[in-house]
Amino acid sequence: MELLTAAAIGILFTIGIFQMLRRNVIRSAIGLIILSNAVNLFLLSSGAYQGIQPAYTDVPQELHSDALPQALVLTAIVISMGGIAFVLSILYVISSRYKTSDLDEIKGLRN
Amino acid sequence: MMDYEQIILVPILAPLAGAFVILLLRSRRIWQAVTALLVMLLSLVSSFWLLIQIWKSGDAVVYQLGGWPSPVGISLVADPLSAIMVFMTQLVLVTGIVYAMGAKDKNIQYPTFYTLFLCLGVGLTGAFLSGDLFNLFVFAELLVISGTILTAISDDRFGAEAAFKYFYISLLASTFMLLAIGCLYISYGSLNMADIAMRILMNPDQPLLMVAAAFMTATFMVKSAVFPFHFWQPDFHAAAPTPVSAMLSSVVVKLGVYGFIRMTTLLFVQQSQELKFLLIVLGIIGVFFGGFSAIGTHNAKRMLAYSTLAQIGFILVGIGWGTPLSIAAALVFTFNHSLIKAAMLMLSGSVASRTYKKSAAFDIISGTGKFMPYTGVLFFIGSLALAGIPPTSGFISKYLIFDSGVAVREYRVLFALAVGGLLSLIYTMRAFQKIWWQQKEDSDSIKPEGDRLVAPTLLIVLILALGIWAEPLVQISQTVSIWLQDPTNYIQAVLGATVTMVIGG
Repeated sequence: MELLTAAAIGILFTIGIFQMLRRNVIRSAIGLIILSNAVNLFLLSSGAYQGIQPAYTDVPQELHSDALPQALVLTAIVISMGGIAFVLSILYVISSRYKTSDLDEIKGLRN
Repeated sequence: MMDYEQIILVPILAPLAGAFVILLLRSRRIWQAVTALLVMLLSLVSSFWLLIQIWKSGDAVVYQLGGWPSPVGISLVADPLSAIMVFMTQLVLVTGIVYAMGAKDKNIQYPTFYTLFLCLGVGLTGAFLSGDLFNLFVFAELLVISGTILTAISDDRFGAEAAFKYFYISLLASTFMLLAIGCLYISYGSLNMADIAMRILMNPDQPLLMVAAAFMTATFMVKSAVFPFHFWQPDFHAAAPTPVSAMLSSVVVKLGVYGFIRMTTLLFVQQSQELKFLLIVLGIIGVFFGGFSAIGTHNAKRMLAYSTLAQIGFILVGIGWGTPLSIAAALVFTFNHSLIKAAMLMLSGSVASRTYKKSAAFDIISGTGKFMPYTGVLFFIGSLALAGIPPTSGFISKYLIFDSGVAVREYRVLFALAVGGLLSLIYTMRAFQKIWWQQKEDSDSIKPEGDRLVAPTLLIVLILALGIWAEPLVQISQTVSIWLQDPTNYIQAVLGATVTMVIGG
């Protein structure tokens, strides 16, 4: 199970970084989403293996999973959602101004 | 009856509450500005009071949110370092609001401008005061998002593009920060900075420790635009509206500086040798790269953004040496650079506001200086301060850096810094000469009125005052630096008496 989670996080990370470096702006935005999900999974797994039962229920203390990373992930998801919504809206402005989705064509700042 | 510690909440809560009140006042623009100013003045006064309290008692002020004892709850910590950073931030933010009140930009008329501006202040202040790593991350995100939106709504055509560029890099940096937090949590099971520092001191052999340190270094390098991660900075700072870019290039980049000081003096004290060496090398590269780029650029605001790159280099070298003297010098440099850079950006912004194209490009603003002699005087004093010539405060900060360098006998580094420091004289004088000494062909192409000069005047007066009467700032910085030499000071202040037994036994 540990190996599977670790491999999944690693693969998600690779895909995220690879897509982020693409020239197409939509692809790179999707890469950002995948990357933030990989990090969220990493944070979640940082507290997962103390116990796998839900915390604060009737099961004994030592079987509880750690509740703190779950709270952190909740916050991180909200923040990355806000960030990605903002990235997409700014992408809309830029691509309608330059009439392209190729990052190499967007070069107003480069003169 | 208010507890004495609760004053620490005022610099965070007052602007946050003000931000929402301002949204309700959106039909009355004057009231929006006045509310923003009053709220910021309130938090300036409270942070000044905090600084005085801490300086008098020589101990940190700690407030546990919700009454949960640390390390379980979230603690807000105003140790001497945080207190001086918060005071600097509030001071510059107040002048930023004063400048925005007198500016003619279109985006300042947007109903959300002051809300976002105050959120920027909340994010920065909260990040300095937070004693909890995840809380620091959340406040830093608030800072990044409000700063990016403020740039995206800029009058500059390329505002959205620059904001996009910055936001991408910054989101990547915050994923790195999350990874560092995750690594530290796996290894030490805590998020409280004091608690983590104590556990690292007791058990420095966790395999993920250096990974966390590397991720955190990358994050703070993006935040303060250190050399290999600097590429977003000139675009972003030059495209932002003038009052915002004066904040971004002065106080917002100091978040990274604060992070590096915390890393080398609290979190990774025993492991910081490599980091300190890296900071010195990157600092010197930054001084030269920033200096030469500033000389080669064609826009006054861009020139100042590159100059920030160079000046941050001086601060990093100070942190890298790590002696009490050099950290005090780095702090004085940090404080003075914030005031100087804010003043200079406001002045070049007000020059640009007199032209119809509203651009600070040298071929547009060259020769406009003939119509604004008073701006010229201020700009000249600011240039002297940036280049480090007495009687300005820039001289004090550079002198202290060189003094601390002589004390550690790093003569090769000192030589490089001296050569790099000369570059700043070249580019500021080049800008001054282009704007004030050249002839303008058509004198019609200039507006009768530009942005008001109240805020830059205030800052320049402060710069001169701190140059002539430097004693208080230098003394405070030395006190801070001595406090920082021993990480147990911070740990004991936050965690209380329980720790003394653990460390002692």
